[in-house]
Amino acid sequence: MLLYTLLAGLLFGLYFSLIGLGLNLVFGVMRIVNLAHGDFLMLGAFLAFWLFTLFAVNPISAIPIVFALFAVVGLPLYYLLVPRLLKARDPEMLSFILFFGLSQVIEAITTIAFGTSERSIPGVQLGIVIATVKGLFVGHKVDNGPIEIFGQTFPAAWVASGVVSGLAVLFVYLYLYRTRLGYLTRAVMVNREEAIATGINVHRVSAFAFGIGLGLAAVAGVFAPFMLGSITPAMGVEVTVTSFTVIVIGSLGNPLGTVLGGLVYGISYMFMQSYYSSWANLLPYLLLIAILLVRPSGLLGRQVRRA
Amino acid sequence: MTRYTIFALLVASMTSATAFAQGTGAPAEIKLGTLYASSGRFASISMPVHDGLKLWLEQKNAEGGVFVKAFNKKIPLKLIAYDDQSNNATAATLYNQLITQDKVDILVSDSGSVLTSVAVPIARDHKMLLIDQTGTGANFFTPDNPYIVLMSDPVSSIWPKPLADFITHDGPKLGIKRVAILYSTNDFTGTQANAVRKFIKESNSGVEIVYDEGIPTETSNYTVLLNNIRATNPDAVIELGYAPNDIAFLRNVQDSGIKPKFLFCIYPGLETELLEKNVGGAGLNYVFTYVPSSEIAYQASFGMPLKDYKAAWDKKYVDSKVEFGFNSVAGYTTGLVIESALAAANSLDQLELRKAIFSLSGKLRTLDGTFELDATGAQIGEITPLGQLILDEHEHLKFVTVWPHDVATGKPVYPRP
Repeated sequence: MLLYTLLAGLLFGLYFSLIGLGLNLVFGVMRIVNLAHGDFLMLGAFLAFWLFTLFAVNPISAIPIVFALFAVVGLPLYYLLVPRLLKARDPEMLSFILFFGLSQVIEAITTIAFGTSERSIPGVQLGIVIATVKGLFVGHKVDNGPIEIFGQTFPAAWVASGVVSGLAVLFVYLYLYRTRLGYLTRAVMVNREEAIATGINVHRVSAFAFGIGLGLAAVAGVFAPFMLGSITPAMGVEVTVTSFTVIVIGSLGNPLGTVLGGLVYGISYMFMQSYYSSWANLLPYLLLIAILLVRPSGLLGRQVRRA
Repeated sequence: MTRYTIFALLVASMTSATAFAQGTGAPAEIKLGTLYASSGRFASISMPVHDGLKLWLEQKNAEGGVFVKAFNKKIPLKLIAYDDQSNNATAATLYNQLITQDKVDILVSDSGSVLTSVAVPIARDHKMLLIDQTGTGANFFTPDNPYIVLMSDPVSSIWPKPLADFITHDGPKLGIKRVAILYSTNDFTGTQANAVRKFIKESNSGVEIVYDEGIPTETSNYTVLLNNIRATNPDAVIELGYAPNDIAFLRNVQDSGIKPKFLFCIYPGLETELLEKNVGGAGLNYVFTYVPSSEIAYQASFGMPLKDYKAAWDKKYVDSKVEFGFNSVAGYTTGLVIESALAAANSLDQLELRKAIFSLSGKLRTLDGTFELDATGAQIGEITPLGQLILDEHEHLKFVTVWPHDVATGKPVYPRP
């Protein structure tokens, strides 16, 4: 039971790293809190759902489509909202209000469009992909059921989301540390004013980061029907709260700290569910309070600000 | 002859004067106040109930209103409905608003125990009768509170009796000796879990509860919990949650490869269409559940029978964004009870309305079964038998009723293949 809980926590935590990754990237670059983050995740989930329902697109195949679409939508949305917001005296605080409003609008429109009922994609769809990939390695056909890890069986969807989350973290790492745009992004993260003074096109860099942030949220949404039971237009707020917890644990403004935050959250959640199940949903708030009291900058806070 | 004529005229004039007096005090409309959740966790059980109630109300208004005995005439209904967004705090404010600002004549709660729970004390404080649509939490009904009556669903303290009776009577013969109970900690499923536990323990059948855990209603992932349940090696798993819980639970059962020999959930029966969309026919195959009125064609002595109601529903709600299921029937049943009560009550006084509703107990038969109340206002009629969902050769899910034996339509399949 202990090993199962630990492994489940790791897989679940990886998924929550993916959920928080985009939010933290946006905060790190723009110092604004995107309270509509969970709603973009929800939109990504609905896009994957409709791609599957209408065109039988497997969720894994939907990932590049969903990511590209949301990243592209993020660019004009950035120019529409963020530059004006950053001119305000307290953009961080105003971003709460602006994105809360956006969150409400997105939820309302989605409810009108799709109704209030729960929607899902069959879990076997991810199992098929895992089995196909595994079959290529072992050279024969593999069952598309649950996956065994260290003698413990987990739903294929968990493993798929864990792998994609890992790849997403790698993508963000490579973007930040191995591309020119990434270097500029990190420069903006360290000091926006200095970046402007050195001639960096801050808005261009920020717009890309905003687009990538939305794209990552939408990719997390693709796995929401499998990891969060089902999807509804109202799921965004809860997701935003959890992802906010994850990034505060890891460190606000440090996208890679999100991985640590996600793992701490995932493992703690699974242990709570195993041993104090009635109290499991208090965990995000307990962790949030504990981190803010003990280490307000987050577990990786200081290193990042100096990076 | 002249004397008789004068007497007849006097009687006629007195009768018409009484009728005039009754008619003059009549309001232009009867205000019916209610809440619904268009978003959030309870939207999928709230909207069908609300739509069912609206369907009844619009039908009545198309006929010129409902007959109100107190005024001896038909009066149109006015629906005042607010969206509580599945939020208890918002619901509390809106219930207060309906009573104090809108001054509704009839107060109807939102669907489900969670959103009804806040209405119970508010209605009681304001001495308003709460027409409780589907809030079955046992603690809502106490002998000292006359301001609540339950319309649909048996109160949760007796609702799971067919399930517990099946497990304790037929269970041991089938090989069910160890039972796991996993429930969401809210008024509805918490009460159901207490009832199941009590019935099993009191039965002295030798059936043992080997796992008994409560989890938050917001739980959306059950993989670790399922693994913990498996470790206790149960013969039967009973999961008690709302529709989103059941969807997540059953999907996790499918995906994790765990195959409980006996699996019971509430909502595969209550909202079959919704569950099938999310879990699929295979995921619901052989699952035990309640057989609700949306599946049994009860002989209705009042209101539309199930077939006609379903046709009316399909005609009105063509967009199919809200699935038809037990909750759709529950909303319509609420309307029928209100209509019958207004036709029997001598005034719109809240306790008079209660008296009128109680006078229907055991007599009113709707598409939801026989409406029957105990002294506290809890529903003890409209019992839902225990059934098992089976995929037929056309891949359609059908209900096989397995308990009580006198209404059984087939034998249970155990263990689940």
